[in-house]
Amino acid sequence: MTSVPPSTATTASATAHAIIGIDTGGTFTDVTLLDPSSGRVFNAKTPSTPDDPSRGFANGIAEVLELADLKGADVARVLHGTTVATNLILEGKGAPAALLTTQGFKYVMEIGRQDVPRRSSLFAWVKPKRPVPPEHIFEVRGRIGPDGAEIEPLDEMAVEKAARAIAHEGIRTIAVVLLHSYANPAHERRVGEILRSLLPGVSISLSCDVLRVFREYERTMTTVLNATVMPVVAGYVERLEQRVREQAITAPLLLMKSSGGVTSADSVRRAPVETALSGPAAGAVGAAYVGQLNGARSLIQIDIGGTSADISLIDGSEPNLTTNGRIGGWPVGLPMVDIVTIGAGGGSIARVTDAGALTVGPLSAGAVPGPVCYGRGGTEPTVTDAHVALGHLPAFLLDGRFKLDVEASRAAVQKYIAAPLGMSIEAAARGILSIIDNHMVGAIRVVSVERGQDPRDFSLLPFGGAGPLHGGALARLLGMKEIIVPPGPGVLSAFGLLVSNLKAEFARTCLQRAGDVDVERVARLFDELDTEGRAWLDSEGVPSAARRVTWFASLRYRHQGFELTVPWTGRVVNTTTTNATIAAFHRLHERLYTFAQEDTPVEIVTLRVDARGVFPPPAMPELAPAGPLSDALIGQQTMHLAEGSQTVPIYARAHFGAGQEFEGPAIITQLDATTLVLPGQHGTVDKFGGMLIGDRGQA
Amino acid sequence: MKVDQPSFAETACDPVTVEIVRGALRAIQSEMEAVIERTAMSPFIREKKDFYAALFDATGRLIAGTNLPISGDVIGPIAEHYPLDTMRPGDLFWYNDCYGSRGAVSHSPDQVFVAPVFADGRLAGFAQSWAHFNDIGGMRPGSLSPDCTDIYQEGIIVPPVRIAREGVIVEELLRLFYRNSRFPEMIKGDTRASMAAVRLGERRLGELLERFGLATAAAFQFLIDETERETRARFRALVPLGSYAFTDTIDSDGHGNGPIKLRYRLDVTPDRITLDATESDDQTPGPINFLMSPGIPAMIFAAYLLGESPQAMLNAGAERVIDEVRLRPGSVLQPRFPAPLGMRGITMMRNMAATLGLLNVATEGQAMAAHSAYVIWYLRGRKDDGELFLLSDGLGVGYGARPFADGNDAVYLVAQENFPSEFLDQVFPLRTLGYTINSDSGGAGRWRGGCGLVREIEVLAPEAMISMRIDNVRFPPWGVAGGKAAGSGRCIVNPGRPDERLIDPLSDGNIVRRGDVVRIETGGGGGFGHPFDRQPELVLADVRSGFVSAASALADYGVALTDGTSIDIDATRKLRANRPEVHLFHRHAYSEQLA
Repeated sequence: MTSVPPSTATTASATAHAIIGIDTGGTFTDVTLLDPSSGRVFNAKTPSTPDDPSRGFANGIAEVLELADLKGADVARVLHGTTVATNLILEGKGAPAALLTTQGFKYVMEIGRQDVPRRSSLFAWVKPKRPVPPEHIFEVRGRIGPDGAEIEPLDEMAVEKAARAIAHEGIRTIAVVLLHSYANPAHERRVGEILRSLLPGVSISLSCDVLRVFREYERTMTTVLNATVMPVVAGYVERLEQRVREQAITAPLLLMKSSGGVTSADSVRRAPVETALSGPAAGAVGAAYVGQLNGARSLIQIDIGGTSADISLIDGSEPNLTTNGRIGGWPVGLPMVDIVTIGAGGGSIARVTDAGALTVGPLSAGAVPGPVCYGRGGTEPTVTDAHVALGHLPAFLLDGRFKLDVEASRAAVQKYIAAPLGMSIEAAARGILSIIDNHMVGAIRVVSVERGQDPRDFSLLPFGGAGPLHGGALARLLGMKEIIVPPGPGVLSAFGLLVSNLKAEFARTCLQRAGDVDVERVARLFDELDTEGRAWLDSEGVPSAARRVTWFASLRYRHQGFELTVPWTGRVVNTTTTNATIAAFHRLHERLYTFAQEDTPVEIVTLRVDARGVFPPPAMPELAPAGPLSDALIGQQTMHLAEGSQTVPIYARAHFGAGQEFEGPAIITQLDATTLVLPGQHGTVDKFGGMLIGDRGQA
Repeated sequence: MKVDQPSFAETACDPVTVEIVRGALRAIQSEMEAVIERTAMSPFIREKKDFYAALFDATGRLIAGTNLPISGDVIGPIAEHYPLDTMRPGDLFWYNDCYGSRGAVSHSPDQVFVAPVFADGRLAGFAQSWAHFNDIGGMRPGSLSPDCTDIYQEGIIVPPVRIAREGVIVEELLRLFYRNSRFPEMIKGDTRASMAAVRLGERRLGELLERFGLATAAAFQFLIDETERETRARFRALVPLGSYAFTDTIDSDGHGNGPIKLRYRLDVTPDRITLDATESDDQTPGPINFLMSPGIPAMIFAAYLLGESPQAMLNAGAERVIDEVRLRPGSVLQPRFPAPLGMRGITMMRNMAATLGLLNVATEGQAMAAHSAYVIWYLRGRKDDGELFLLSDGLGVGYGARPFADGNDAVYLVAQENFPSEFLDQVFPLRTLGYTINSDSGGAGRWRGGCGLVREIEVLAPEAMISMRIDNVRFPPWGVAGGKAAGSGRCIVNPGRPDERLIDPLSDGNIVRRGDVVRIETGGGGGFGHPFDRQPELVLADVRSGFVSAASALADYGVALTDGTSIDIDATRKLRANRPEVHLFHRHAYSEQLA
């Protein structure tokens, strides 16, 4: 792959080389610095500062620069994954916003899709409150048809009247969503002009800029969420830039988007909702990269934290994307890494119900009070306590700085689970783990079938603090041949930032009836999208050799309500490429859903252009060749296995070298995670420090 | 159905296996539904999502089903034609025969596909898909019409047939079926989607049975018992011993008959719970008849009582909560073949309200208020180019207020979605003019009933025919515990124009032409608790957001507003000092009993 570093507007000095990734989490801010000249990686962890996350961001940068003994001028780029927009949406704490919409459609958000969620109760479910109340929604006359033709001119007087009312309410951010604006945004743009002239300094989000595709509820919600997070995110981005300058860094600040690509701070200011899944996207990118280093092109990654597990598939070299994602209860139709979250993690609480059933989660002890073994006030046994009770974890974590209370875990499992069910502590603890593992297996299967895949064709990449404890069991239950434990399972998101590229997506709905494709119109729209893509690459200062612009189309069978996205064949639009694209759709449909309907007409629904600026892949530091395994042996302890209790070795991963081999049962510790190697499993360490673990004779 | 209990059902199973099986069943269901959702073709399935998947044990008992209170012996009708001991791996069964399944299917467009699942060579369970197909022939496009007077007019009837033997599909049967549809392309897609989902369920359930062997059946038993125990306990905690009667009312059968009464009596003794519906009115010539499986009232109780409980599943255990349900053949709840059933949704929804009414009588007003029946309207015709089109649009209604929350606004049912306006404009010859909340349709109360909605469209086809299905116009959904009844729905053509006209709420054959405007308003849900007990701030918020008018705030809630933007505290205090007397129920007026 040829690539050259983008010469961004705010160019770093010619000698700059270091790349810094900062991932702000709920508790800690992880910072990773890669120095390609020395091939060294430096990690720093600093407490997050939720009142102003930019402080933790700045502390982290300062700390890692000091650790690497580098100056601000040595930094080539700063990459950041943020949960600011995510939290604003999840907690409903965005700025008060107004919405301007087409006459007659004030209640689109309120009505939603008029359903009660499939697994909820018709009687008990309570419809969640919308992010903008109807009294802050203003209707204006004017109508565009689904083909883009103007049916009724825009009532500009009504827009001006709405602007005055909005000013009167003191609202400082406005979403504009007009019916069929995806087909023709002229009215929306005009509304934007009027609002900008009458309300200087007020943030404006036009749906044609945020998400130019059909389905008014999803487009409205995405645009409205963009408007509600915009003031806060804009302020945050400004503070970040300030902090970067304070460190004497002249390199560009790039932020991770939900789609797994980074973009400039300026782009984020315009479309902040694109960062709604910023943190998990960075993790997915990191996981994909680790998989690639190992030549594994099909990965299922599972990020297991304290309260939840995030599952996603990587088919090829990149995380799969979806345009049907949700943040909290709300649909966000922008391309985002296709991640499914379930309420299963290390802190998930185990309980016996009145009916005598054993349940695990979704209730979690979280970080506070946390599992019983942390000794911070937790009393009910969690998944982590089950591991501790079985001897899966060493008694000391974090290089010996943190002691686990093994007896407290065992006592809690005994009191709350084993005694009521008349089981041994070990059987109860194994039961807890079986249940949580099976919960995750079910979710992985559903995620796979929805994407037409069979988990057995994949490698499992577990990460997050608890991922490597469960990876081995999950892979066995799913019949997967191997698991890949990345070098830093707890800091994979920060690592993902280091290896990410600039990326932006441009989409437009353009309904083309089957057998009646308006080739000229499709060509024109692709040309427009391509121009937008290139303009964005210009604004990011990406030189031509580093540019990758790819065309896609979303298609469906006539009468279907769901589209599939396939690459457009070639870069011209004619009958041949159209037919080739339709053929690709048939094949994808067959792979995903077991059948194609070649006899059914295919409709083109949305055109998409994906623009990228590709950074040169950073050289990854390599491990020294492995020494004797005994060099890594730091202790041993009793593990209660189903086949009986036995003494198992504890290895320090930091002492592993390239080509190291080890056998289960074993415990492998490192600062940010513990890996459980099951009896019968065999592991090897690759030259980048990844551990490949599989059943003996298979891996 | 009669089958021998497998001997391994007595095998004990541990709580861990139960929990793993529970999780696996839910995951299998989700996997199957994912296949249907993403591959079906009828708008009813792909956008409205009128489908679900379910799993049964070896004796045909439901273990994991939908969250909709649906019930019936799904497997029994198949076993009558194809005894269980003749079933082989790879077989696939199919039917939509309402009378032949004694109501397991309750109107003909719903297609049931079932695969037997084998483990160790023994029949060990069943996987089922259920989906509403767009058109299966019959009197009018869409198969269902208020005009129908017998079930033959509602599309082709498929008795239980073996559509695949050991994996080999009987293509002739499918060809026959497709030939009977006005939209063969769509139902072909739906059929393939349904069969693919069932095959996946068959494979997954088989894997589960293989993994846990004999313990699986014991786990199934546990899951059924658990639901029964949990539902019974909650029922007993809520409902004191006694005898309770409740009557709810359906406006009409669409053929000039009505009102139609559902008269229920619930007898709760220390060792027996009986529901008697035999006093309900006779079956009707029009298609509102509901061939009700006796398990359904119990399923409604269970769905209501279990609420959002994450544990217990809505399965065969729920049906056992009522020991006996008495129905009278020839009544609207147990019609005789071949009475039409196409509009049975109206009666199904009233049955649900009447069941809630029983709980309110028994608890003196501690349950939920009534809802409107969901609204469905069809627009059929030919586009300018002569192509046949069929829009079947389900519209949300208001649900009843609850002792703990307002009723939900503009909801259709569990998991059933609307058509986006932009989708309608793209695909059908019409222009959507409005999609809003039906103001003041939610019954007033301490907790407000949900509001219905308004869909307004302009016809762009040269000519089209409207089929309308709205109930609860003459007899709106009742309020409870002082809460008032909901507002009603209606359909107006050309509102505000000289040629304005109302369309009969349950009717077909209504012709509209290019340029006509059709406005459909749907009804709300009843209120809960005395409206004067609603916080004035909540009333103000409802007025500001357009759910309640200032006039209703004043008249129904005793809240006076200044310019509709702030509360006139003094005036409100005076109004509320004069507190109207209320009774348990409200419809038109307060009364202790509805008749």
